[in-house]
Amino acid sequence: MSIITRRNLLISGLGTSTAIVLGATLVPTAGRAQDLTVEDVLFDPDNPVLGNPDGDVTIVEFFDYQCPYCKANHPDLTKAVAEDGNVRLVMKDWPILGAPSIRASQLALGAVDTGTYETAVEALMATEGRLSDAVIKSALEKVGLDIPELDAAYRANRSKWDGLMSRNGAQAAQLGLRGTPAFIVGTSIYPGSMNRTELRDAIAKSRG
Amino acid sequence: MSRATEPFRRAVRSIVTAMTVLFIVMSAWPATAQLLTGSGNAPLPASDAFQISVADQDDGTRILSWDIADGYYLYRDKLAADTADGIAVPLQTGPGKEMDDLTFGAVEVYFDTARAVMGAVNGPVTVTWQGCQDGGICYPPVKQTLTALDGATSPVSAAPAAEKIVLAQEQGLIDSLRARGGTLLVLAGFLGFGLLLAFTPCVFPMFPILAGLLSRQGDTLTARRGAALSGVYVLAMASAFGLLGIAAAWSGQNLQMVLQSPAAIYGVAAIFVALALSMFGLFELQLPQAWTRRLSSAGSGRRGTFGGAAVLGFTSALIVGPCVTAPLAGALLYIAGTGDLMLGAGALFALGLGQGIPLLIAGTLGARVLPRAGAWMDGVKRLFGFVFLGMAIWLIGRLVPGPAILALWAGLLVSAGIFSGAMDLLPGDAGSARRGIKSVGVLSLIAGAIMAVGAALGGSDPLRPFATLQGVAGKAGATTGTVEFDTVINASALDAAISAKPGVPAMIYVTADWCVTCRVIERNVWPDAGVQAALSGLNVIAADVSDFDAEGQEMLERLGAVGPPTMVFLDRNRTEAPGTRIVGDTGADAVQKSAEVIR
Repeated sequence: MSIITRRNLLISGLGTSTAIVLGATLVPTAGRAQDLTVEDVLFDPDNPVLGNPDGDVTIVEFFDYQCPYCKANHPDLTKAVAEDGNVRLVMKDWPILGAPSIRASQLALGAVDTGTYETAVEALMATEGRLSDAVIKSALEKVGLDIPELDAAYRANRSKWDGLMSRNGAQAAQLGLRGTPAFIVGTSIYPGSMNRTELRDAIAKSRG
Repeated sequence: MSRATEPFRRAVRSIVTAMTVLFIVMSAWPATAQLLTGSGNAPLPASDAFQISVADQDDGTRILSWDIADGYYLYRDKLAADTADGIAVPLQTGPGKEMDDLTFGAVEVYFDTARAVMGAVNGPVTVTWQGCQDGGICYPPVKQTLTALDGATSPVSAAPAAEKIVLAQEQGLIDSLRARGGTLLVLAGFLGFGLLLAFTPCVFPMFPILAGLLSRQGDTLTARRGAALSGVYVLAMASAFGLLGIAAAWSGQNLQMVLQSPAAIYGVAAIFVALALSMFGLFELQLPQAWTRRLSSAGSGRRGTFGGAAVLGFTSALIVGPCVTAPLAGALLYIAGTGDLMLGAGALFALGLGQGIPLLIAGTLGARVLPRAGAWMDGVKRLFGFVFLGMAIWLIGRLVPGPAILALWAGLLVSAGIFSGAMDLLPGDAGSARRGIKSVGVLSLIAGAIMAVGAALGGSDPLRPFATLQGVAGKAGATTGTVEFDTVINASALDAAISAKPGVPAMIYVTADWCVTCRVIERNVWPDAGVQAALSGLNVIAADVSDFDAEGQEMLERLGAVGPPTMVFLDRNRTEAPGTRIVGDTGADAVQKSAEVIR
């Protein structure tokens, strides 16, 4: 698969050191599509930010609203972010588990413009198991959100949100992420769930 | 709190990060991975976690198999196939493991391996699958395009219909015996089969019944009378077998199964209770005069005894120990196939006689051993009274919930203990015989007390009354120690269970709660490691006919079986492999051998 090939190519040129520094190989000027910068991943202007937007460390999570491990991991993530107080949390919608995932992401992103993004994310992450339109609807309505309003907000900026989601998918592929959840804390990639302690350690590590 | 990142912040960040434009990519090397991941378990590439292989079939269908790495799983509902035009190609998949984790909800997944049969299709087809690392990450869908098969012309819509199973056509037992030696050999052969079957759990319950019957005779019991009574008992038993044949010819059904109705079982249990009470001397059991006059013409003294022997012999064969054995099944199928009632019923009668020969010998010899008078005789009669009560409990155990039955066993054992003097004081000069009896009585009392506690705990197995307590600690061990069956109770469920795993060989085990031989199989065969290995990966289905009705009958007809226990082995094409069928009591070796044939 092309993802793996590219990733292996990058690694093979760099040896086996623990921390693989790839910066030099990624051209910062975003001339070609496949060139990716830290900037692009951590500071996508369209992606809403949770936690402390002025924080000195960024946690990026590539996630899917139907991914069981993302949901199970979420309380630890929000606790770790709140506890630290100086962390930007960027939740990157990477809907890989089918139509309900896409629908949930669309409505949550629509909630950005109605000022209810965090409420929507928390409500959707608190759901159990697989999603359906009915489950999404009831989860969002339970926390007082209006589905038609979120839908309208999403549609009003459809190209922006669809663009963001497809960019997230492309970045995941370029980073060689194998699935959800995948975390980037500072500049290190951590695949899979992270508990509170692991997140705390990763944050500390990224601060050097 | 949430808002889009401000441009100026982005600029500040750019300066910082531009100096260390780092991307630390997770390495494929485990050592590196462990240093970088908190969880210490770097996910495999999707292509390593789920390896697909495709087997082309002659009919244009393709069998897709996934080899799934340890600790990874595929979602059943995410397996899909599409043509280049985006038309969905039907996939037949088997049931997966239900994930019931709270965060999952109900979702079916496959661990280790997954299989799907893809309908025949023109042109290339793209297969999609998706799964997760257990406790780790979920992968995006993986797609692979398969090239067109040569000569595959069937349209996509022609999904393979649910095929019927094909049973092996083999020469029956009666046919092969008759071909070699005529009717006489058939009858002699069945007599011999009966003799062989006499030492199986099907016949064991008959020994205490006959012994109890004889001990009722008291001082009138002689060896001759013992032989006569045993003879009536055995003749009635053999007649019951013959009747099985007649009933099968008349209704196409196995009478043994039809008689496993609550009314019949409670009725026979009531007979045993009445017999027990008469053993305790509460009353003299008498059958209607008209019956006994005719039946007891050969005897003297106590009327009703021959009648009682006849009734017990009859019910023993049909209701107490209804066992389906290979010769019995052969004869019933012969009658069903040829309509030749005389030979079929005759063979069954011979089978019953054969089974009864050891009973006849035991009855005749036992009559000499049994005491005829005095305190000893009362003691022996009492003992068989408890045996008859035990028979009644054992019979209704097919209908009444386990803990209630265990409570009855407890009551029976405690009373038996009391009656044998467990609570009586022995005089200092008591002989060893009395001391021995008291010891047995005390043991019975203790066993009864233990079972009473077990019943109160919800236990149901008299031999393991505290199983409910062990269940908590030993659950994992218990579930791995046997074969996991999909249980079905009607023909449509059976079809569905077979269709659920297309292309997988199947073993169908016909069983019932009241089937004595099935209990033996469950104790000796399924826990066998070799059997479990031989059956692993097969579609193992239990066809349960405990509540026998028209649906159960249909299921039996579908399998060409007459009752439990029967094992039918189907190969990948749902065709029974010749010579693999197992009817009646069996051992681990035979099951393994048959399973190997269809693998």
